[in-house]
Amino acid sequence: MKPLVRKVLSSSLVGALASPLSVDDYLSLIDRRLSLAEPRGRITSVVRQTADSVTLVIEPNDNWAGHRPGQHVLLGVDLNGARHSRCFSLVSAPQDPLLEITVKRNGDGRVSNFLVDQARRGQLVYLSPAEGDFYPQTSAPAKALLVSAGSGITPVMSLLREWIASGHLGDVVFLHYARRRCDMIYADELQVMAEQHPSLQVSTVFTAENGRRIDSQTMDIEVPDLAERETWLCGPLDFMDAAEALIAPRSEHALHREQFAATRREAAHGQGSVHFLNSDIAASGENGSLLEVAEGAGLTPPYGCRMGICHACKCRVAEGSVRDLRTNTVREVRDTDIQLCIHAAAGDVAVQL
Amino acid sequence: MGKPTHLTDADIAEFGRELDAIRDEQMSDIGERDAGYIHKVLRTQRSSEVAGRALLMAGILPPAWLAGTALLSLSKILENMEIGHNVMHGQWDWMNDPALDSGTYEWDNTCPSSQWKHSHNYVHHTFTNIVDLDRDVGYGILRMAEDQPWKKRFLLQPLTAAVLAAWFQWGVALHDLEIERIGKDKSLKEAAALLPPIWGKVRKQLLKDYILFPALAGPMAPFVLTGNYSANLTRNLWTFLIIFCGHFTDEVEMFDEAEAIDETRGQWYLRQLLGSSNLTGSVPFHILSGHLSYQIEHHLFPDMPSHRYRDIAPRVQAICERYGINYNTGPLTKQFGGVVKRILRMSLPHRRKRNTLAEQPFADLPVYAEAA
Repeated sequence: MKPLVRKVLSSSLVGALASPLSVDDYLSLIDRRLSLAEPRGRITSVVRQTADSVTLVIEPNDNWAGHRPGQHVLLGVDLNGARHSRCFSLVSAPQDPLLEITVKRNGDGRVSNFLVDQARRGQLVYLSPAEGDFYPQTSAPAKALLVSAGSGITPVMSLLREWIASGHLGDVVFLHYARRRCDMIYADELQVMAEQHPSLQVSTVFTAENGRRIDSQTMDIEVPDLAERETWLCGPLDFMDAAEALIAPRSEHALHREQFAATRREAAHGQGSVHFLNSDIAASGENGSLLEVAEGAGLTPPYGCRMGICHACKCRVAEGSVRDLRTNTVREVRDTDIQLCIHAAAGDVAVQL
Repeated sequence: MGKPTHLTDADIAEFGRELDAIRDEQMSDIGERDAGYIHKVLRTQRSSEVAGRALLMAGILPPAWLAGTALLSLSKILENMEIGHNVMHGQWDWMNDPALDSGTYEWDNTCPSSQWKHSHNYVHHTFTNIVDLDRDVGYGILRMAEDQPWKKRFLLQPLTAAVLAAWFQWGVALHDLEIERIGKDKSLKEAAALLPPIWGKVRKQLLKDYILFPALAGPMAPFVLTGNYSANLTRNLWTFLIIFCGHFTDEVEMFDEAEAIDETRGQWYLRQLLGSSNLTGSVPFHILSGHLSYQIEHHLFPDMPSHRYRDIAPRVQAICERYGINYNTGPLTKQFGGVVKRILRMSLPHRRKRNTLAEQPFADLPVYAEAA
């Protein structure tokens, strides 16, 4: 969008003409990627590096405010008519005008499976501003250790790309763990990087092909100067816990972890507890609907019919497992508005109340 | 036909289960087809608005004024009926699209969405046709049921109804103030707290249609102004027509509070059904009515995507036939005739025999009267 056009469309006059709808509602007649404030993008390239992954290049609209290396983005797609969003690490360096993410199939994950199987060029995606503090620095460290496992390689690739692009690649040791050689994403690019940059030492371990799992011996052999290195660590929760236990006592520098969206704590089985985030109250989820639990905890959420008709009690659930009292079906929700009166906790639930 | 006093509690429970089954089946099937439908409606509404407003700028030419006014009327009707009303019911919340979220959607109407959701979604849809609880029964200004006490001013209610029709959105805007309750169980202060949001909304609506767009048109301002006024008037008349046909046809049933005490799910369904009436017509007619031509299905399943009412209506009607329940439907002319009849009948201090679903002394049961 040209700056002048944007300025005119963002004016309060045009806003008043569009009211009560938004200018975006009308812009979507031309192209649904157009928006005055929301970052959205279009997929421009789809490459399947391995059998169970897909690498997407996304051209964002001009509301994209850029990112720092190692940050992630909430990416939304319309799946069977409904918007679903998941977090993905940005692999692209901040200088790159196009965004790159790599999605690995993740069990029953609807979004990852959809993208791996069906992502296509030209598809519209909804974006959030970049988030995350995996890489808080403004300059590259002199000596660094990068450790990743599986798709945990993605934020680490972003760091490497940034350091190389800005000409600040220091002395870097990179340990990566994948199950098998054929599962490893970014293998070719990493090999080229290592060949071109002698200060980058890459070791890849394939655990399903007799590779040695991370242990103290690995550290002593691969990173004898660990004490002098700042560490960036990303992978499944168990892997990060094991690696951190090995690295933290040996290094005098900071260790940064990137928590993956997919590695959530297991939901408690049976009767769960309800955490009301805004008022910071925890309550047992046993006593009736979420609305009744909230009221029992002394909260006064708005409500109307109390029978699922009027939607007055609709409230955002940040995360958790809920049971629809009408159908008795249990589902996992995340950042979803639900009617409190006809849902009960089916595990730990975090409600924005 | 009257209320189905022949049904046992077990019948009503089974009737409720059959409707639940339809609901479950439809709601579990929601997806791409529904999203495609609402996106098509959104595109039609927005492009007809843009085209209509553009044509009105050339409104000095009579065909342009007529076409512009027609397109703007179409857009305003679609926005209020098929989009706004249904979005605010949460019919499209499953899409997780912020632009179609019942919590935040604001419609093109002088009534603020927040107040509408209280007076309509909660009060009207929960207490449908219960005299004294459902304020839509006469909106506090008309007498629409025998159980509403007659007053002299109701002699003029055919005229009141005509004025309400022409100014319908203003009636809707002031509806949640519940003026008739002020000084009784609602304080003036409570009502006054509702005024600033109403004024905030009214100001924006007036500014857009009657100041900004005419001003933009320069010398064409009078044509834009009259076009915008006509479009708002057309929508007022249309919504009045559709909404009155939904609950105030002659055969529609009214209830008292006793009938709704400890209602089961099945009894609730039954009251929704008996308190609503449908309109037959073409698909475009149904869309323009916001599918409120399927008022019965809408009251049974207010958060089901509206276009599905068309699919399920024959099955709901078949269920009603099996249980011997009156499924009130007919063409617009017949149903509106019934509305006019009710408005006229209720304007007079006539009181017909009560017909109720609640337990009553034996002598009051209307079954025998009907059988004879």
